Amino acid sequence: MASRYDRAITVFSPDGHLFQVEYAQEAVKKGSTAVGIRGTNIVVLGVEKKSVAKLQDERTVRKICALDDHVCMAFAGLTADARVVINRARVECQSHKLTVEDPVTVEYITRFIATLKQKYTQSNGRRPFGISALIVGFDDDGIPRLYQTDPSGTYHAWKANAIGRSAKTVREFLEKNYTEDAMANDNEAIKLAIRALLEVVQSGGKNIELAIIRRNQPLKMFSAKEIELQVTEIEKEKEEAEKKKSKKT
Amino acid sequence: MAATFFGEVVKAPCRAGTEDEEEEEDRRETPEDREVRRQLMRKSREVRLLRRQTKTSLEVSLLEKYSCSKFIIAIGNNAVAFLSSFVMNSGIWEEVGCAKLWNEWCRTTDAVSLSPTEAFCVFYHLKSNPSVFLCQCSCYVAEDQQYQWLEKVFGSCPKKNMQVTILTSRHITDYKTSESTCSLPSPFLRALKTQNFKDPVCCSLLEQPNIVHDLPAAVLSYCQVWRIPAILYLCYTDIMKLDPITVEAFKPVLSSRSLKGLVKNIPQSTEMLKKLMVTNEIQSNIYT
Repeated sequence: MASRYDRAITVFSPDGHLFQVEYAQEAVKKGSTAVGIRGTNIVVLGVEKKSVAKLQDERTVRKICALDDHVCMAFAGLTADARVVINRARVECQSHKLTVEDPVTVEYITRFIATLKQKYTQSNGRRPFGISALIVGFDDDGIPRLYQTDPSGTYHAWKANAIGRSAKTVREFLEKNYTEDAMANDNEAIKLAIRALLEVVQSGGKNIELAIIRRNQPLKMFSAKEIELQVTEIEKEKEEAEKKKSKKT
Repeated sequence: MAATFFGEVVKAPCRAGTEDEEEEEDRRETPEDREVRRQLMRKSREVRLLRRQTKTSLEVSLLEKYSCSKFIIAIGNNAVAFLSSFVMNSGIWEEVGCAKLWNEWCRTTDAVSLSPTEAFCVFYHLKSNPSVFLCQCSCYVAEDQQYQWLEKVFGSCPKKNMQVTILTSRHITDYKTSESTCSLPSPFLRALKTQNFKDPVCCSLLEQPNIVHDLPAAVLSYCQVWRIPAILYLCYTDIMKLDPITVEAFKPVLSSRSLKGLVKNIPQSTEMLKKLMVTNEIQSNIYT
Protein backbone atom coordinates (compact mmCIF):
# COMPACT_ATOMS: atom_id res chain seq x y z
CA MET A 1 0.00 0.00 0.00
CA ALA A 2 1.30 3.42 -0.89
CA SER A 3 0.66 4.77 2.60
CA ARG A 4 3.43 2.73 4.15
CA TYR A 5 6.09 3.94 1.75
CA ASP A 6 5.17 7.53 1.11
CA ARG A 7 6.04 9.10 4.43
CA ALA A 8 9.79 9.20 4.15
CA ILE A 9 11.50 10.53 1.08
CA THR A 10 14.39 8.15 1.43
CA VAL A 11 12.33 4.98 1.36
CA PHE A 12 11.71 3.04 -1.85
CA SER A 13 8.47 1.08 -2.15
CA PRO A 14 8.78 -2.63 -3.04
CA ASP A 15 8.03 -1.90 -6.67
CA GLY A 16 10.63 0.82 -6.91
CA HIS A 17 8.59 3.98 -6.45
CA LEU A 18 9.71 7.06 -4.59
CA PHE A 19 6.24 8.26 -3.74
CA GLN A 20 7.24 11.66 -2.41
CA VAL A 21 8.88 12.48 -5.72
CA GLU A 22 5.77 11.37 -7.61
CA TYR A 23 3.57 13.43 -5.30
CA ALA A 24 5.86 16.41 -5.91
CA GLN A 25 5.06 16.00 -9.62
CA GLU A 26 1.37 16.34 -8.71
CA ALA A 27 2.18 19.64 -7.00
CA VAL A 28 3.66 20.86 -10.29
CA LYS A 29 0.33 20.21 -12.00
CA LYS A 30 -1.31 22.65 -9.63
CA GLY A 31 0.67 25.54 -11.07
CA SER A 32 -0.55 27.34 -14.17
CA THR A 33 0.76 26.36 -17.61
CA ALA A 34 4.15 27.42 -18.94
CA VAL A 35 5.35 26.70 -22.48
CA GLY A 36 8.84 26.93 -23.93
CA ILE A 37 9.80 26.92 -27.62
CA ARG A 38 13.22 26.75 -29.22
CA GLY A 39 13.36 28.44 -32.59
CA THR A 40 16.35 28.69 -34.89
CA ASN A 41 17.22 32.24 -33.82
CA ILE A 42 14.96 32.77 -30.85
CA VAL A 43 13.78 31.11 -27.66
CA VAL A 44 10.31 31.83 -26.34
CA LEU A 45 8.76 31.36 -22.90
CA GLY A 46 5.02 31.82 -22.50
CA VAL A 47 3.06 31.45 -19.28
CA GLU A 48 -0.51 31.62 -18.14
CA LYS A 49 -0.62 34.55 -15.78
CA LYS A 50 -2.25 33.80 -12.47
CA SER A 51 -5.11 36.16 -11.76
CA VAL A 52 -3.91 38.70 -9.25
CA ALA A 53 -6.02 39.85 -6.31
CA LYS A 54 -7.22 43.46 -6.51
CA LEU A 55 -4.89 44.77 -3.86
CA GLN A 56 -1.90 42.68 -4.90
CA ASP A 57 1.07 44.22 -6.70
CA GLU A 58 1.27 42.44 -10.04
CA ARG A 59 5.02 42.74 -10.29
CA THR A 60 5.55 40.35 -7.39
CA VAL A 61 3.65 37.53 -9.08
CA ARG A 62 6.10 36.50 -11.77
CA LYS A 63 6.48 33.13 -13.41
CA ILE A 64 9.27 34.12 -15.77
CA CYS A 65 12.57 35.07 -14.13
CA ALA A 66 15.95 35.95 -15.52
CA LEU A 67 18.80 33.90 -14.09
CA ASP A 68 21.44 35.91 -15.96
CA ASP A 69 21.52 38.25 -18.97
CA HIS A 70 21.37 35.38 -21.43
CA VAL A 71 19.37 32.75 -19.50
CA CYS A 72 15.86 32.84 -18.15
CA MET A 73 13.42 30.35 -16.73
CA ALA A 74 9.74 29.78 -16.18
CA PHE A 75 8.44 27.45 -13.48
CA ALA A 76 5.25 25.71 -12.43
CA GLY A 77 4.44 24.52 -8.92
CA LEU A 78 5.09 25.76 -5.41
CA THR A 79 5.91 29.47 -5.47
CA ALA A 80 8.15 29.43 -2.41
CA ASP A 81 10.20 26.48 -3.66
CA ALA A 82 10.70 28.30 -6.96
CA ARG A 83 11.99 31.38 -5.17
CA VAL A 84 14.63 29.33 -3.35
CA VAL A 85 15.77 27.55 -6.52
CA ILE A 86 15.91 30.78 -8.53
CA ASN A 87 17.97 32.54 -5.87
CA ARG A 88 20.46 29.66 -5.72
CA ALA A 89 20.71 29.58 -9.51
CA ARG A 90 21.26 33.33 -9.75
CA VAL A 91 24.07 33.22 -7.21
CA GLU A 92 25.63 30.30 -9.06
CA CYS A 93 25.52 32.22 -12.35
CA GLN A 94 27.46 35.12 -10.85
CA SER A 95 29.85 32.91 -8.95
CA HIS A 96 30.66 31.05 -12.17
CA LYS A 97 31.22 34.31 -14.03
CA LEU A 98 33.61 35.59 -11.39
CA THR A 99 35.48 32.32 -11.05
CA VAL A 100 36.00 31.31 -14.67
CA GLU A 101 35.34 34.72 -16.28
CA ASP A 102 32.74 33.19 -18.61
CA PRO A 103 28.96 33.30 -18.38
CA VAL A 104 27.31 29.97 -17.61
CA THR A 105 26.08 27.80 -20.43
CA VAL A 106 22.37 26.98 -20.33
CA GLU A 107 23.22 23.34 -19.84
CA TYR A 108 25.49 24.11 -16.88
CA ILE A 109 22.92 26.06 -14.96
CA THR A 110 20.24 23.49 -15.79
CA ARG A 111 22.50 20.76 -14.46
CA PHE A 112 23.11 22.82 -11.34
CA ILE A 113 19.38 23.21 -10.71
CA ALA A 114 18.74 19.54 -11.45
CA THR A 115 21.52 18.43 -9.11
CA LEU A 116 20.12 20.65 -6.38
CA LYS A 117 16.69 19.10 -6.85
CA GLN A 118 18.09 15.58 -6.85
CA LYS A 119 19.92 16.21 -3.56
CA TYR A 120 16.57 16.91 -1.96
CA THR A 121 15.23 13.54 -3.10
CA GLN A 122 17.98 11.72 -1.25
CA SER A 123 18.19 13.71 1.96
CA ASN A 124 16.95 12.76 5.36
CA GLY A 125 14.17 15.01 6.62
CA ARG A 126 13.83 17.18 3.49
CA ARG A 127 11.11 16.98 0.90
CA PRO A 128 11.66 17.38 -2.87
CA PHE A 129 11.17 20.77 -4.53
CA GLY A 130 7.64 20.94 -5.90
CA ILE A 131 8.51 22.71 -9.14
CA SER A 132 9.34 21.95 -12.73
CA ALA A 133 11.31 24.53 -14.68
CA LEU A 134 11.77 25.46 -18.32
CA ILE A 135 15.18 27.05 -18.83
CA VAL A 136 15.97 28.87 -22.06
CA GLY A 137 18.86 30.89 -23.39
CA PHE A 138 21.67 31.20 -25.89
CA ASP A 139 25.17 29.92 -25.31
CA ASP A 140 28.32 31.72 -26.41
CA ASP A 141 28.35 29.57 -29.55
CA GLY A 142 25.05 31.19 -30.56
CA ILE A 143 23.00 27.99 -30.31
CA PRO A 144 19.55 28.35 -28.69
CA ARG A 145 18.71 25.94 -25.88
CA LEU A 146 15.61 24.81 -24.03
CA TYR A 147 15.81 22.49 -21.05
CA GLN A 148 13.20 21.14 -18.69
CA THR A 149 13.80 19.97 -15.11
CA ASP A 150 11.38 18.18 -12.81
CA PRO A 151 11.18 17.45 -9.07
CA SER A 152 13.10 14.20 -9.39
CA GLY A 153 16.19 16.08 -10.56
CA THR A 154 16.19 14.89 -14.17
CA TYR A 155 16.75 17.32 -17.00
CA HIS A 156 16.30 17.00 -20.73
CA ALA A 157 16.73 19.22 -23.76
CA TRP A 158 13.57 19.89 -25.74
CA LYS A 159 12.54 21.59 -28.98
CA ALA A 160 9.29 22.62 -27.36
CA ASN A 161 7.61 21.62 -24.11
CA ALA A 162 5.00 22.60 -21.58
CA ILE A 163 4.70 22.21 -17.79
CA GLY A 164 2.01 22.81 -15.20
CA ARG A 165 -1.74 22.49 -15.49
CA SER A 166 -2.96 20.93 -18.77
CA ALA A 167 0.63 20.42 -19.88
CA LYS A 168 -0.38 17.27 -21.74
CA THR A 169 -2.91 19.12 -23.90
CA VAL A 170 -0.39 21.81 -24.74
CA ARG A 171 2.34 19.29 -25.49
CA GLU A 172 0.05 17.43 -27.88
CA PHE A 173 -0.74 20.71 -29.62
CA LEU A 174 2.99 21.45 -29.93
CA GLU A 175 3.67 17.97 -31.32
CA LYS A 176 1.10 18.57 -34.02
CA ASN A 177 2.13 22.09 -34.92
CA TYR A 178 5.88 22.39 -34.37
CA THR A 179 7.89 22.31 -37.60
CA GLU A 180 11.60 23.08 -37.91
CA ASP A 181 10.99 25.17 -41.04
CA ALA A 182 8.41 27.39 -39.37
CA MET A 183 10.72 27.89 -36.37
CA ALA A 184 13.29 29.55 -38.59
CA ASN A 185 10.91 32.52 -38.49
CA ASP A 186 10.97 34.29 -35.10
CA ASN A 187 7.41 35.51 -35.38
CA GLU A 188 6.15 32.01 -36.08
CA ALA A 189 7.84 30.74 -32.91
CA ILE A 190 6.18 33.49 -30.87
CA LYS A 191 2.81 32.77 -32.45
CA LEU A 192 3.17 29.03 -31.77
CA ALA A 193 3.77 29.72 -28.07
CA ILE A 194 0.70 31.95 -27.87
CA ARG A 195 -1.48 29.54 -29.84
CA ALA A 196 -0.40 26.67 -27.57
CA LEU A 197 -1.35 28.68 -24.48
CA LEU A 198 -4.67 29.77 -25.95
CA GLU A 199 -5.64 26.09 -26.09
CA VAL A 200 -5.82 26.04 -22.31
CA VAL A 201 -6.01 29.64 -21.12
CA GLN A 202 -9.60 30.66 -20.68
CA SER A 203 -9.65 34.43 -20.89
CA GLY A 204 -7.46 34.88 -23.96
CA GLY A 205 -4.50 37.22 -24.33
CA LYS A 206 -5.11 39.11 -21.10
CA ASN A 207 -3.84 36.19 -19.08
CA ILE A 208 -0.70 35.45 -21.06
CA GLU A 209 2.81 36.62 -20.33
CA LEU A 210 5.57 36.20 -22.89
CA ALA A 211 9.36 36.54 -22.87
CA ILE A 212 11.84 36.06 -25.71
CA ILE A 213 15.60 35.99 -26.08
CA ARG A 214 17.13 36.58 -29.49
CA ARG A 215 20.72 35.76 -30.31
CA ASN A 216 23.10 38.35 -28.74
CA GLN A 217 20.19 40.31 -27.35
CA PRO A 218 18.95 40.62 -23.79
CA LEU A 219 15.71 39.16 -22.45
CA LYS A 220 12.61 40.97 -23.71
CA MET A 221 9.27 40.79 -21.88
CA PHE A 222 6.29 41.48 -24.11
CA SER A 223 3.88 44.17 -23.01
CA ALA A 224 0.16 43.45 -22.79
CA LYS A 225 -0.37 45.46 -26.01
CA GLU A 226 2.15 43.46 -27.96
CA ILE A 227 0.56 40.23 -26.83
CA GLU A 228 -2.89 41.52 -27.78
CA LEU A 229 -1.57 42.33 -31.25
CA GLN A 230 -0.27 38.82 -31.67
CA VAL A 231 -3.52 37.33 -30.39
CA THR A 232 -5.54 39.44 -32.83
CA GLU A 233 -3.32 38.29 -35.69
CA ILE A 234 -3.74 34.66 -34.63
CA GLU A 235 -7.51 35.03 -34.45
CA LYS A 236 -7.54 36.59 -37.93
CA GLU A 237 -5.52 33.70 -39.30
CA LYS A 238 -7.89 31.24 -37.64
CA GLU A 239 -10.91 32.93 -39.21
CA GLU A 240 -9.32 32.93 -42.63
CA ALA A 241 -8.42 29.26 -42.29
CA GLU A 242 -12.00 28.47 -41.31
CA LYS A 243 -13.39 30.47 -44.23
CA LYS A 244 -11.17 28.54 -46.60
CA LYS A 245 -12.37 25.27 -45.10
CA SER A 246 -16.04 26.18 -45.47
CA LYS A 247 -15.44 27.34 -49.05
CA LYS A 248 -13.90 23.98 -49.89
CA THR A 249 -16.89 22.12 -48.44
CA MET B 1 6.56 0.98 21.31
CA ALA B 2 8.89 1.32 18.35
CA ALA B 3 11.35 3.94 17.22
CA THR B 4 11.16 5.05 13.60
CA PHE B 5 13.94 6.15 11.30
CA PHE B 6 13.51 9.73 12.46
CA GLY B 7 13.63 8.88 16.14
CA GLU B 8 9.95 9.40 16.82
CA VAL B 9 8.40 6.86 19.18
CA VAL B 10 5.15 5.32 18.02
CA LYS B 11 2.85 2.81 19.60
CA ALA B 12 3.09 -0.50 17.83
CA PRO B 13 -0.36 -2.00 17.12
CA CYS B 14 -1.05 -4.96 19.39
CA ARG B 15 -3.94 -7.39 19.10
CA ALA B 16 -3.58 -8.46 22.71
CA GLY B 17 -5.25 -5.20 23.68
CA THR B 18 -3.90 -2.23 25.55
CA GLU B 19 -2.87 -2.38 29.20
CA ASP B 20 -5.50 -1.47 31.75
CA GLU B 21 -3.73 1.59 33.11
CA GLU B 22 -3.45 3.25 29.74
CA GLU B 23 -7.10 2.55 28.97
CA GLU B 24 -8.25 4.35 32.12
CA GLU B 25 -6.19 7.39 31.27
CA ASP B 26 -7.72 7.58 27.83
CA ARG B 27 -11.23 7.25 29.22
CA ARG B 28 -10.98 10.27 31.44
CA GLU B 29 -12.59 13.13 29.56
CA THR B 30 -11.06 16.55 29.61
CA PRO B 31 -13.30 19.62 29.64
CA GLU B 32 -12.34 20.11 26.01
CA ASP B 33 -13.67 16.66 25.09
CA ARG B 34 -16.94 17.44 26.82
CA GLU B 35 -17.29 20.72 24.96
CA VAL B 36 -16.62 19.05 21.61
CA ARG B 37 -19.17 16.36 22.40
CA ARG B 38 -21.73 19.03 23.34
CA GLN B 39 -21.14 20.90 20.07
CA LEU B 40 -21.48 17.70 18.04
CA MET B 41 -24.74 16.81 19.74
CA ARG B 42 -26.18 20.20 18.89
CA LYS B 43 -25.45 19.70 15.23
CA SER B 44 -27.87 17.21 13.93
CA ARG B 45 -26.88 14.98 11.04
CA GLU B 46 -30.42 14.87 9.77
CA VAL B 47 -31.05 15.43 6.10
CA ARG B 48 -34.06 17.67 5.61
CA LEU B 49 -35.87 18.19 2.35
CA LEU B 50 -37.53 21.59 2.23
CA ARG B 51 -40.23 22.92 -0.04
CA ARG B 52 -39.20 26.00 -1.96
CA GLN B 53 -41.78 28.61 -1.15
CA THR B 54 -42.69 27.80 2.42
CA LYS B 55 -39.35 26.38 3.56
CA THR B 56 -41.23 23.67 5.40
CA SER B 57 -40.19 20.07 5.28
CA LEU B 58 -41.73 17.78 2.72
CA GLU B 59 -43.93 15.11 4.28
CA VAL B 60 -43.21 12.55 1.59
CA SER B 61 -40.16 11.96 -0.54
CA LEU B 62 -39.59 14.24 -3.52
CA LEU B 63 -40.24 11.65 -6.21
CA GLU B 64 -43.34 10.37 -4.44
CA LYS B 65 -44.76 13.87 -4.46
CA TYR B 66 -43.92 14.62 -8.07
CA SER B 67 -43.98 12.26 -11.03
CA CYS B 68 -40.62 11.96 -12.72
CA SER B 69 -39.59 10.52 -16.06
CA LYS B 70 -36.03 11.86 -16.16
CA PHE B 71 -33.80 12.67 -13.21
CA ILE B 72 -30.43 14.27 -13.79
CA ILE B 73 -28.15 14.61 -10.76
CA ALA B 74 -24.93 16.62 -10.72
CA ILE B 75 -22.65 15.94 -7.78
CA GLY B 76 -19.56 18.06 -7.22
CA ASN B 77 -18.62 21.54 -8.41
CA ASN B 78 -17.51 20.60 -11.94
CA ALA B 79 -20.64 18.60 -12.72
CA VAL B 80 -22.80 21.37 -11.23
CA ALA B 81 -21.06 23.99 -13.38
CA PHE B 82 -21.61 21.79 -16.44
CA LEU B 83 -25.36 21.55 -15.88
CA SER B 84 -25.59 25.25 -15.00
CA SER B 85 -23.87 26.33 -18.20
CA PHE B 86 -25.08 23.78 -20.72
CA VAL B 87 -28.49 22.60 -19.56
CA MET B 88 -30.04 25.13 -17.23
CA ASN B 89 -29.64 28.09 -19.53
CA SER B 90 -31.74 26.58 -22.32
CA GLY B 91 -35.13 26.33 -20.67
CA ILE B 92 -36.93 27.58 -17.62
CA TRP B 93 -36.17 25.53 -14.57
CA GLU B 94 -38.22 26.02 -11.46
CA GLU B 95 -36.83 25.25 -8.03
CA VAL B 96 -39.00 22.71 -6.24
CA GLY B 97 -37.02 22.19 -3.09
CA CYS B 98 -33.65 21.82 -1.48
CA ALA B 99 -31.91 19.37 0.83
CA LYS B 100 -30.36 20.83 3.95
CA LEU B 101 -27.72 18.88 5.81
CA TRP B 102 -24.66 19.38 7.95
CA ASN B 103 -21.52 17.33 8.36
CA GLU B 104 -17.86 17.92 9.18
CA TRP B 105 -17.09 18.81 5.57
CA CYS B 106 -19.48 21.75 5.52
CA ARG B 107 -17.71 25.08 5.48
CA THR B 108 -20.39 26.95 7.41
CA THR B 109 -20.46 26.76 11.18
CA ASP B 110 -24.14 27.43 11.62
CA ALA B 111 -26.13 24.28 10.95
CA VAL B 112 -29.45 25.84 11.70
CA SER B 113 -29.74 28.56 9.12
CA LEU B 114 -27.91 27.54 5.97
CA SER B 115 -29.04 29.78 3.15
CA PRO B 116 -29.96 28.30 -0.24
CA THR B 117 -27.26 30.34 -1.93
CA GLU B 118 -24.63 28.32 -0.13
CA ALA B 119 -23.41 25.14 -1.65
CA PHE B 120 -25.69 22.21 -1.25
CA CYS B 121 -28.53 20.28 -2.87
CA VAL B 122 -31.15 22.08 -4.92
CA PHE B 123 -33.87 20.36 -6.95
CA TYR B 124 -35.42 21.82 -10.09
CA HIS B 125 -37.96 20.74 -12.65
CA LEU B 126 -38.39 21.95 -16.20
CA LYS B 127 -41.38 24.27 -16.48
CA SER B 128 -42.24 23.10 -20.00
CA ASN B 129 -42.03 19.44 -18.95
CA PRO B 130 -42.45 19.05 -15.19
CA SER B 131 -41.52 15.38 -15.16
CA VAL B 132 -37.90 16.27 -15.94
CA PHE B 133 -35.99 16.81 -12.72
CA LEU B 134 -32.53 18.13 -12.07
CA CYS B 135 -30.50 18.08 -8.87
CA GLN B 136 -27.47 20.31 -8.27
CA CYS B 137 -25.57 18.87 -5.34
CA SER B 138 -22.38 20.71 -4.52
CA CYS B 139 -22.02 19.65 -0.90
CA TYR B 140 -20.53 16.46 0.44
CA VAL B 141 -23.09 13.96 1.71
CA ALA B 142 -21.44 11.86 4.42
CA GLU B 143 -21.78 8.06 4.53
CA ASP B 144 -24.27 8.09 7.37
CA GLN B 145 -26.40 10.67 5.55
CA GLN B 146 -26.53 9.01 2.14
CA TYR B 147 -29.32 6.60 3.08
CA GLN B 148 -31.38 9.46 4.49
CA TRP B 149 -30.79 11.48 1.32
CA LEU B 150 -31.96 8.57 -0.83
CA GLU B 151 -35.04 8.03 1.28
CA LYS B 152 -35.98 11.69 1.26
CA VAL B 153 -35.45 12.02 -2.47
CA PHE B 154 -36.43 8.66 -3.96
CA GLY B 155 -38.61 7.28 -1.20
CA SER B 156 -38.91 3.70 -0.03
CA CYS B 157 -40.86 2.50 -3.06
CA PRO B 158 -39.73 4.35 -6.16
CA LYS B 159 -41.58 4.32 -9.49
CA LYS B 160 -39.69 2.39 -12.10
CA ASN B 161 -40.62 4.32 -15.23
CA MET B 162 -37.92 6.92 -14.84
CA GLN B 163 -34.34 7.18 -15.99
CA VAL B 164 -31.57 8.53 -13.79
CA THR B 165 -28.38 10.18 -15.04
CA ILE B 166 -25.65 11.07 -12.56
CA LEU B 167 -22.67 13.30 -13.34
CA THR B 168 -19.67 13.65 -11.08
CA SER B 169 -15.91 14.07 -11.12
CA ARG B 170 -13.09 12.37 -9.19
CA HIS B 171 -9.38 12.88 -8.94
CA ILE B 172 -7.43 10.88 -11.47
CA THR B 173 -5.52 9.08 -8.72
CA ASP B 174 -8.78 7.23 -8.00
CA TYR B 175 -8.67 5.62 -11.43
CA LYS B 176 -7.26 2.14 -10.99
CA THR B 177 -4.67 1.46 -13.62
CA SER B 178 -1.17 0.08 -13.88
CA GLU B 179 -0.10 3.12 -15.94
CA SER B 180 1.38 6.19 -14.31
CA THR B 181 -1.14 9.02 -13.89
CA CYS B 182 1.19 11.27 -15.92
CA SER B 183 0.48 9.28 -19.06
CA LEU B 184 -3.33 9.37 -18.77
CA PRO B 185 -5.13 11.84 -21.04
CA SER B 186 -6.93 13.65 -18.26
CA PRO B 187 -9.63 14.74 -18.02
CA PHE B 188 -11.55 11.79 -19.44
CA LEU B 189 -15.01 10.31 -19.06
CA ARG B 190 -16.04 6.83 -17.94
CA ALA B 191 -19.50 5.38 -17.37
CA LEU B 192 -21.06 2.86 -15.00
CA LYS B 193 -24.66 1.75 -15.48
CA THR B 194 -27.32 -0.40 -13.85
CA GLN B 195 -28.57 -3.59 -15.42
CA ASN B 196 -31.81 -2.01 -16.64
CA PHE B 197 -30.12 0.80 -18.53
CA LYS B 198 -30.38 -0.08 -22.19
CA ASP B 199 -29.61 3.18 -24.01
CA PRO B 200 -26.29 3.73 -25.78
CA VAL B 201 -23.50 5.02 -23.57
CA CYS B 202 -21.59 8.18 -24.57
CA CYS B 203 -18.16 6.99 -23.51
CA SER B 204 -16.34 3.80 -22.52
CA LEU B 205 -17.48 1.90 -19.46
CA LEU B 206 -15.37 2.06 -16.32
CA GLU B 207 -12.87 -0.76 -16.44
CA GLN B 208 -12.34 -3.31 -13.67
CA PRO B 209 -11.92 -2.75 -10.75
CA ASN B 210 -14.90 -0.50 -11.40
CA ILE B 211 -15.27 1.06 -7.99
CA VAL B 212 -17.08 4.35 -7.37
CA HIS B 213 -17.58 6.16 -4.09
CA ASP B 214 -19.87 8.42 -2.07
CA LEU B 215 -23.29 9.71 -3.11
CA PRO B 216 -23.01 8.71 -6.81
CA ALA B 217 -22.33 5.13 -5.70
CA ALA B 218 -25.23 5.23 -3.26
CA VAL B 219 -27.64 6.45 -5.94
CA LEU B 220 -26.42 3.88 -8.46
CA SER B 221 -26.73 1.04 -5.93
CA TYR B 222 -30.22 2.19 -5.04
CA CYS B 223 -31.24 2.22 -8.71
CA GLN B 224 -29.72 -1.21 -9.28
CA VAL B 225 -31.63 -2.68 -6.33
CA TRP B 226 -34.93 -1.11 -7.46
CA ARG B 227 -34.27 -1.94 -11.13
CA ILE B 228 -34.33 1.69 -12.23
CA PRO B 229 -32.33 2.37 -15.42
CA ALA B 230 -29.49 4.63 -14.31
CA ILE B 231 -26.10 5.67 -15.59
CA LEU B 232 -23.21 7.43 -13.90
CA TYR B 233 -20.85 9.54 -16.00
CA LEU B 234 -17.63 9.97 -14.09
CA CYS B 235 -15.00 12.49 -15.17
CA TYR B 236 -11.48 11.73 -13.97
CA THR B 237 -9.44 14.90 -13.73
CA ASP B 238 -6.22 16.07 -12.18
CA ILE B 239 -7.73 19.37 -11.05
CA MET B 240 -10.23 19.11 -8.27
CA LYS B 241 -11.26 22.72 -8.06
CA LEU B 242 -13.72 24.26 -10.52
CA ASP B 243 -11.95 24.00 -13.86
CA PRO B 244 -13.29 24.77 -17.35
CA ILE B 245 -11.40 21.95 -19.04
CA THR B 246 -12.88 19.40 -16.65
CA VAL B 247 -16.35 20.86 -17.14
CA GLU B 248 -16.00 20.69 -20.92
CA ALA B 249 -14.94 17.04 -20.64
CA PHE B 250 -18.59 16.28 -19.83
CA LYS B 251 -19.67 17.49 -23.31
CA PRO B 252 -20.07 13.99 -24.85
CA VAL B 253 -22.95 13.48 -22.39
CA LEU B 254 -24.92 16.16 -24.26
CA SER B 255 -25.52 13.63 -27.04
CA SER B 256 -27.12 11.11 -24.66
CA ARG B 257 -30.86 10.49 -24.90
CA SER B 258 -31.56 11.99 -21.50
CA LEU B 259 -29.84 15.32 -22.20
CA LYS B 260 -30.38 15.67 -25.94
CA GLY B 261 -33.65 17.54 -25.87
CA LEU B 262 -32.50 19.82 -23.09
CA VAL B 263 -29.54 21.55 -24.70
CA LYS B 264 -30.07 24.34 -27.19
CA ASN B 265 -27.40 26.97 -27.29
CA ILE B 266 -23.83 25.68 -27.00
CA PRO B 267 -21.83 28.90 -27.76
CA GLN B 268 -23.88 30.73 -25.16
CA SER B 269 -23.15 27.92 -22.74
CA THR B 270 -19.41 28.36 -23.20
CA GLU B 271 -19.82 32.06 -22.41
CA MET B 272 -21.79 31.21 -19.29
CA LEU B 273 -19.06 28.83 -18.22
CA LYS B 274 -16.44 31.56 -18.58
CA LYS B 275 -18.51 33.84 -16.36
CA LEU B 276 -18.86 31.09 -13.74
CA MET B 277 -15.10 30.65 -13.67
CA VAL B 278 -14.47 34.31 -13.05
CA THR B 279 -16.90 34.51 -10.16
CA ASN B 280 -15.59 31.32 -8.61
CA GLU B 281 -11.87 31.92 -8.68
CA ILE B 282 -10.32 31.52 -5.27
CA GLN B 283 -7.07 33.35 -4.65
CA SER B 284 -4.15 31.22 -3.53
CA ASN B 285 -0.50 32.13 -3.59
CA ILE B 286 0.88 28.71 -2.83
CA TYR B 287 1.08 27.56 -6.44
CA THR B 288 2.16 29.64 -9.42
